[in-house]
Formats: sequence, structure tokens, C-alpha cells
Amino acid sequence: MKGNKILIALLIVIAVGALIYVNINRSEGQEAINLMTWGGDFIPREIIDQFTEETGIKVNYKEVTSNEDMQSLLEANPDQYDLAVVTDYMVDILRQNGLLENLDKSKLPNIKNINPVYQGNYYDENNEYSIPYAISTSFLLVNPEAVAALGAQPITSYKDLWQSELKNSIVLIDWSVEIIGLVLKSLGYEYNETDPVKVSEAKERLFALKDNIVRFETNTPEDSLVNGEAVVGFMYSNQAVKGQAANNKLQPVFPEEGYPIYIDCWIMSKEAPNKDNAYQFLNFIMQPEIAAKIADITKFTTPNKAAEPYLPEDYRNNPMLNLPDEVAANTSFYIGVENVLEEYEHIYSEFKLR
Amino acid sequence: MKTLKRNVLAIPFLIWFGLLVGIPLVYVVVLSFMSRDHLGNVVFRFTLENYQKVFDPIYLRVFANSFLLALLTGFITLLIGYPVAYITSQLEPKKRNLAIALFMLPFWISSLLRTYGWVILLGNTGLINNVLLALKIIDKPIPMMYKFSTTLIGTVYMLIPFMIVAIYNSVDKLDRSLLEASYDLGASKVKTFFKIVLPLTIPGIAGGFTLVFTPALGLYFISDLLGGGQTIFLGNLINTLVNRGRNRPLAAAFSVGMILLVTLVISIYGRITKDKGEGLFQ
Amino acid sequence: MKSKTNRFGIFYLSLFFVILYLPILSVVLYSFNASPSTAKWTGFTLDWYRQLFRDRVIGEAFAISIQVAILTAIFSAVLGTAAAMVSLMVTTKMKQTIQRMMLLPLLVPEVALGVSLLIFFNALKLPFGHLTLVLSHSLFCVPYVYIMVLLRLQEIDRSIIESARDLGATKWQAFYTIILPLIMPSIVTSSLLAIAMSLDDVVISTYMSGPTSTTLPVHIFSMMRVGVTPKVNALCTLILVGTFFIIGLNQYISKISKNRGLSK
Repeated sequence: MKGNKILIALLIVIAVGALIYVNINRSEGQEAINLMTWGGDFIPREIIDQFTEETGIKVNYKEVTSNEDMQSLLEANPDQYDLAVVTDYMVDILRQNGLLENLDKSKLPNIKNINPVYQGNYYDENNEYSIPYAISTSFLLVNPEAVAALGAQPITSYKDLWQSELKNSIVLIDWSVEIIGLVLKSLGYEYNETDPVKVSEAKERLFALKDNIVRFETNTPEDSLVNGEAVVGFMYSNQAVKGQAANNKLQPVFPEEGYPIYIDCWIMSKEAPNKDNAYQFLNFIMQPEIAAKIADITKFTTPNKAAEPYLPEDYRNNPMLNLPDEVAANTSFYIGVENVLEEYEHIYSEFKLR
Repeated sequence: MKTLKRNVLAIPFLIWFGLLVGIPLVYVVVLSFMSRDHLGNVVFRFTLENYQKVFDPIYLRVFANSFLLALLTGFITLLIGYPVAYITSQLEPKKRNLAIALFMLPFWISSLLRTYGWVILLGNTGLINNVLLALKIIDKPIPMMYKFSTTLIGTVYMLIPFMIVAIYNSVDKLDRSLLEASYDLGASKVKTFFKIVLPLTIPGIAGGFTLVFTPALGLYFISDLLGGGQTIFLGNLINTLVNRGRNRPLAAAFSVGMILLVTLVISIYGRITKDKGEGLFQ
Repeated sequence: MKSKTNRFGIFYLSLFFVILYLPILSVVLYSFNASPSTAKWTGFTLDWYRQLFRDRVIGEAFAISIQVAILTAIFSAVLGTAAAMVSLMVTTKMKQTIQRMMLLPLLVPEVALGVSLLIFFNALKLPFGHLTLVLSHSLFCVPYVYIMVLLRLQEIDRSIIESARDLGATKWQAFYTIILPLIMPSIVTSSLLAIAMSLDDVVISTYMSGPTSTTLPVHIFSMMRVGVTPKVNALCTLILVGTFFIIGLNQYISKISKNRGLSK
């Protein structure tokens, strides 16, 4: 058996050697920053290329699929990442866990461009750790003709979703907190209610909605309205914008009961290896022209007030993208998800198994 | 002393797996007894609460739901895959290699896209409905999406190569002279198959079933895309708890439950197939 | 060798292949769709291919994925085969232990594997990149190679090996000339599976890749927030065409060399 052992050992050595070789061969030395966030064009590549061209700083863009992935990666290797874009609630968590750098505003002159309406929120009251980058809301996208064809009343609020004519015609984001939040709002309550009486009222109400739902979908709910399998959808604003672009009969309905808002923010790791470069990058993307370009590509609402004149006409006239300040006032965050999640997830599971 | 010497060879593998799999496994088990603070950070305080939650009637139904899906996936891949593996093994060598290459190839393409492929096929405005409408076979689209069976199509499609390869490997090495002898003795093809081929390929079936059943329990995005999220499976629940709920301890408790379920299933059919130390997973 | 397959068998196999390729063909078809969503066919375009060629990110991600997949397949083939050989040499009890351990990576949820390996490799100060990707991917690929190879190894007639040894062959010669050719088909098919699994892994790769190495599946899944564009369909179409080309070429070459052999 000696021969076998030698062979096996040899092959393992070769394999490991090849691996190490590949790893060593990756040289680094150029000025760079490491950022991580969602992929695709969440931060448009042409903007990144423009930054590299102007400053000579290379941008390493690590793509991830969720806020929680970013949290895990940042907690494990705080010294490997400079910047990340995370959603509001995650700023709060990272900040309380002591992972975030207190931003030096003197290195960020362009921060004056940011609309104060989107600053000083619960996750960063004093604007120390975060800079808003992209804003989305969620509301209803409706096909009024198709709703009428089903014999249902026009939809103006969440309450209208319970009409029996809408059987198998609604598509919803697949997330317990959001859907139970919608039900709570329709009853006149607030998000993330913990009062057992109100929660059980919402539960009954939620179960009554089941027959009307054709599909739960988080990533492409607008497709269901485009291909006609649904006539109403509750979805994120960037999805609604895409849906309307594909079918101009689709209209947004901003429910009178109010609706949620999400602010994705830039944050810097406390142990960021390239802080100066990171400040340069943040300052770069807060320039009005650049911010306008980003907003147009990503179809998120920009928090950059100074960018407004540079936005294309159709963007400025689109109520889904250009939120008037009074509309923004009717939105609310999901605060304190962790207090309700287990209960809501349980209700939601029961709801789905019905 | 001699057995000890023989077992020395196994040490590298035990270390390799002990480190890379053992540690994560211990991590999951330990985590399932931990608590979490208001931010979702894991706190090292022993609790049995997570398991109490797992044994909730609603969540037990989620287990049952996933179990059913995985079991059906296992049986359907077996029913479809066995003939494919058997026929392929009977082809002449060159065609055989081509066939193997052809059924491996689709699986080099992102599973997300392959699942979208089914969405394109089965949707209300999808290809199948459009073709049927154009041929005037139907006058209204047949709703095929967002059902349990749609999810099942997706999982079967995703996992069938593992079944085929496992069965192919055990059919292919069958001693052909045995089959010839059976034919010579006047046995029909069908009889030969059930009396000789099938019993000899039981290890392959058991292996394939394990390789299909286990991942089928944990899949999640297929039921999101094809099942329309209309029902809930273990994979979805664990994924939601980790990725949106930041409740790793509870997710870990569900994972431990899932691991125990798989172990149970494997030990049961280990008994059924009457492996006596030679088979794979007893 | 005469083919024993009857017509029904061929029909069944063809039907299977048609169904197998239907979703793939729809992916290919929609790489030419003018609309960025799969909801509707709005017209023919080659735009996505143009965008694909301009997109260096997707190309880089694909290159990294291919490198990792091939290294993983080689590494897993060696390790899995070695483990299968070893488990036939050790005591039955030890063999059972190895078998049980081999199944574990398939049981532990991917998120758990990913997170705990992240912590573990971090403690070892391993650089996150190819090395960690291949190590972690081979974790769930080795068991497949192991199972497939073991299935075949167990059926090898020991008397063949013994007679070879009697004829003076060294153990190494016996392995190389008898065992290896017999188990080669299993090694090859399971390595192909390993490539497929490595090319498809999202969860573990998210945790195992460093700031500079995003793999293709992670790239695709991370696009879901802003929308997966048919650019990805276009890339998959090209991968498919490329692989078909290689298979075709292979068939063609073997045909030619066979013809030459006959004419001699």
C-alpha cells in the first residue's frame, strides 16, 4: 500500500500547491478602496469607472445579497472593507455594535447637497455615521382597467384589497413584517404593533386576504402586473417604476393610510484600511451631476437635493421617484422589527399554510 | 495493533472533515441553545426556548411540508432518472459519453436562470400557453404557476442529475455476463430487470436518494419563484430567520431539526435495504 | 459492441433530453428579448450581447468562477477518490465513520457552513479568495466524488487485483493499470457534477470570497435587488454554445482519428 500512499500524498501536495500559487499570484499595491453592497447597477459601474479615471483609485466592489450578509462580513473582517451601503435599520445595528466610523464632515464638503428631510432619522439621529444614498418606498401599483373589468371598486387604499372581486389578483412582497404592517395600517394602527389585541385583530384580517393573493414575490412582483396575472401589487418603488415602464396602463396608488420608506445609506468601517480614499469616493458620488446620473440609472429616489436640476424630465415628473416632501412625511420606517419578528413570522407561517 | 495501523490511513480525512465540517456542525448545535439580544446578536446564555418554538404545531407542519416535498422529489427523480441511467448505460460507449455530457451540461448554467426558464415556459403568458393558444387547443391560458406541483417540477429538475449519476454508476458496472446468463436461461427482459438488475442497483438508488432528498429539504428560491411563495418550506423559514430576522439561534434549532430528520430517514431506509456493512449509509 | 437498446429506450431518452433542454432554450430565447423582464416578449434584440461584451464585471466574475470550479473539481476528485480507496483499506467500523462524515456537509445548512467557515478561516488568517473558495466548495463536492467512486470500487473483483499482484505487479502498477481505469468513469462524471455545483453556489461563496473576488452566481443573485437583466441570459447562452462547441469538436476529432486508424 506504500505506492498508493505516496501517490495520494503527492496529488494532494500538487493540488494544494496549485491553490496557493493562484492565491499568491494576485498582486495588489495600487491605491484602492473596497466597498460592498448589492450588485448589478446598484452603484453603476460607469460612475465607478469615472471615479477611477479621475482619481486613479481602483474600486473593488464586493457584491452581496443582503444586509445581514454585509453585517456578517463586516463583523468578521472590519479591516478589509472601507465602505458599504446598508438599509436604515442595519445602520442602527452596526452603529450599536461599534463597527462604524464617525464620519469626518470636513472631508465631505458635498454633504451640503443632501436633503435634510432624509437626515437625522432614528438610526443616526446626529448624522454621525451614515450618508443617505438611495431611497425607496413601497406602495400599490394598480391596473385600473383590469380592476374595473373584474367588477371591483377603484383602489385608493389598503382597505380596497379585501374586495372579493379581486380573488387571485394580488401580488405582494414576501415579507411578514411588511404584509402584517399593511394589514395593521388598513386597520388604522401603526407598524410593528405589539398589543396582542390589535395583533390578533390583524391576524384575522390577514387570513381573510389569502384568497385574493395570486403570488408572493420580493424581487420581480411587477412582472405579475405586466403579464396580467395580477391587477394590484404591493411593491417597492423601483419595481413599480419598472412595471410602469413596461406597461403604461399601470398606475401607482399611494395608500391614504400611509406607507413605508427605506433609506439605503453609505457607512464606513471603523477599521477601514483606506479611509482617505473612501472619503474621496463619498465626496465624488455626492456631486449633483453624479447623484442625478445614479438616480436615473438605479430608479431610486435620490436624497441629493442639489441633483434635482440635473435629473431628466421624466424622472422629475414621476411621483414614484420624485417624492414631494409632504408625501415623504406620510411614510414611516419599520422600527423595532426584532420585537415583533418571531410573533409575526409565526402568524405569517400559519397564514401561508392555510 | 494491525487494525490500528490500517486505520492510520483514514486520519487525514477525519481531520479534514472534522475541522471543516465538524466545527460548523458543533457551531450550529451550540448556537441552537443560545439566546439573542435586542439587536439580534448572539448571546452566550443557555436556553431551550428555541426548541420549544420548533415544536410548535405550525412549524411542525412546515417540517411535514418540506418532508413531503423532499420525499416526492426523491421518488420522482428515481422514477424518471432510473430508466435514463439504465438506457444510457446500454448505449455503445461513444454515444454513452455523449449522452452523459448532454445531461450534465444544463447544470453548468446558473440554477436561478434555469428556474426562470421554467417561469418563461409555464407562465400565463408563457411559451407553453402561447403555443397552445396559437394552436387553438385552449381558449384561455391554463394557470400552471404558483402551485405545490410547480415547485415540485423545479426541485425535480434541479436535483435529477444526482440521481441519474448515482444510478448510472451502479448500473454501468453490472456484470453483463449475469444478464446474458439470465437471458440464456429464458428469462424475459422484464423478469431479468426485476430479479437481477434492480436488486443489484439498490446501493445506487439509496445513494441517489440521499443526494436528492437531503438538498431538497433545504432549497428555498425555487419555491419562491415557481411556487409563488404560496406555502412555506424549511429552507424558506431558515433563510428568513437568518437573513431578515437576524435570529440565528432559532434558525440553528430548525437546522438541527432538519439534520435529525435526514438522519432518521437515512437510517430507516438503511434498514429497509438491509445493508450489512457493505452499503452506503447505514 | 452491438447496441442492445430498443426503440422505446431511444424514444424515452430523447423525450427526456427535450424536457431537460426546454427551460434552457427559453433562457436562450429570452436573451434576445427587447424587454428587460421575463414577463413579456416584446421583440428581438442583440442589445444584451452588446452590453455583455462591454461589461467587464460579469467577465471577471465568470473567469473567477471557472477557475474555482476547475480547481475544486480536481481537488475534490483527488480527495474523494483517495477517501474512497482508503475506506476500503480500513476496518469496517472506520469505513462507516468516514461514510457518515462524508454526508455531513450535505446536511449542515449552507448559511451555517458559510458563517462558521468565515470565522474559522479568519482565525487561521487565510486570505479570502480562490483558496477559501476552493476549500469550501470541495467540502460539498468531495462527498459526491466519494459516493460515486465508492459505489464502483466496491464492485471490483478483488481476484483481478490479486492475480495481477501474483504476476508481479507492484501495488502502484495494480492501481494504475487496473483500478484507475475501472473507476475513471465515476471520477469523470462526479467531477463534472462538482464543476456544476461549484459554478452554482451562492451562499457559501458570498462568505468565502474576498473583497476582490465575486463569483458569477453571487453576481447574479446580488443583482436581484435592482433586477437581473437578460445580459446574464446572454452569457449563459454563450457558455452553452461554447460547451457544445467543445463537445462537438471532441466528437469530430475522435471520429477523424478513428477513420485514420482504419485506413492504415
